[in-house]
Amino acid sequence: MARKAEAYVDTSALIAFVDRSDTHHPLFRRLFSAPPALVTTALVVAEGHAWFLRRYDRVRGLQFLAMIEDLRPLQLLAVGAVEQEGAVRVMRRFSDQDLTLTDAMGIHLMQKHKIGGCWSTDFHLGLAGASLVINEH
Amino acid sequence: MIRTQISLTETEYAAAKQEAARLGISLAELLRRSLRTMIPADESRPWMRHAGMVESGDPDSSRNIDAVIYGQKG
Repeated sequence: MARKAEAYVDTSALIAFVDRSDTHHPLFRRLFSAPPALVTTALVVAEGHAWFLRRYDRVRGLQFLAMIEDLRPLQLLAVGAVEQEGAVRVMRRFSDQDLTLTDAMGIHLMQKHKIGGCWSTDFHLGLAGASLVINEH
Repeated sequence: MIRTQISLTETEYAAAKQEAARLGISLAELLRRSLRTMIPADESRPWMRHAGMVESGDPDSSRNIDAVIYGQKG
């Protein structure tokens, strides 16, 4: 990372940004208009792309991927076997919650990289203490 | 506004008219919106052209992602 990330971006933040029907669209439109250094993972990108494939079609899916390419303040954190072990530990810690592996990976990476802010509308991402941006605005 | 002419196939024209009718806008407005998704309004923030690119009709869209991607339980 060129500069320390200020926030982790979850799939829900990206969908709120692109879907003008979403209640949180105005907030994320404003946040993304002047973003700090942001990080996410390929898992989040895959979820966003899958959302477009399921709700729309492959053309919209490709537009979503083009958006990720355009979004230069957003850096992808590498995810491998070590990170997956960390995410599974998170899932075991919060085994009473319906966490996806993507959620757990986000929680793990925020702890690992000491990222205090989280751009998400999903309360799961705040389970380990991260500050959800929707609660600050 | 600058007036211009474009050529569309019959299929493209019919599909565009249908989508414009669905959204309750003119064909010209549909084409302008389509163009805005292709041409960055601000070269320093090219991702902003994607803001609000879809209108799902679901105000809880970002909170229903798991149900869309992974399906409902049961």
